[in-house]
Amino acid sequence: MFYRSARHPFGRAVSRRSARALVIALYILYPLGCVLRLRPFSDAFGGAADIAGLLLIAAALLVFAVLAGSSLQRQAQEPEDKLDERESAERNRAAYWSYSAFAGLVVAGATYMMIATDLVESGKATLWTPQTGDHWNAVVGGLVLLGMTLPAAVLAWGKETADME
Amino acid sequence: MAIHNRLSVFRADHAMSRKDLAERVGVNPQTIGYLERGDYAPSVELALKLAAVFDAPVEALFSLQPFAPLAHSLKNGG
Repeated sequence: MFYRSARHPFGRAVSRRSARALVIALYILYPLGCVLRLRPFSDAFGGAADIAGLLLIAAALLVFAVLAGSSLQRQAQEPEDKLDERESAERNRAAYWSYSAFAGLVVAGATYMMIATDLVESGKATLWTPQTGDHWNAVVGGLVLLGMTLPAAVLAWGKETADME
Repeated sequence: MAIHNRLSVFRADHAMSRKDLAERVGVNPQTIGYLERGDYAPSVELALKLAAVFDAPVEALFSLQPFAPLAHSLKNGG
């Protein structure tokens, strides 16, 4: 998802360093917020943890909104004919790496679910698996955020952006 | 293999900004920066377009070998 504003038709220019900070913040704030909100292992701290979790998720969505309007997200999401040859080549490389990472993560998640379900059913161990609608919403929401930002994240770890005159 | 270029020299000589040059060849201005720093090797099409802007042969702009310093070239009569 790329948000194009009238003021920044090519996305708000962000340095790679800022983009990296945004990506790291997004990938830490969202899961941390979900863990605090859903507290899968203990019901400690009750309402305080709920509020803290919601605040962290809201902060993660704010970071996502900033990233969605950035020049990196434009490069990651724009149709091929709107990019020049360098942007297009970088994007194709980023798409390849992010697809591989995303596919690897989905395979790892599915394998974990398979093992965890077997262990829980056999009573040999108790591993966490999503049980309620809230759990699944958190997992799917995370996957959606990751899927929408991973190519831009890979681009953010590319070469530093050239200075503008 | 690295491709060396004298894009910034030609651009300065023609008093063009990166934005101006980018518009002439149809790329993002940042791409000109990447080219000048040697972080991106252009396609043949883009190299020819850039050479056409400066009305120079493409080998005057791009080379597989490092270019001699400008002072050295001037000393030897270009």
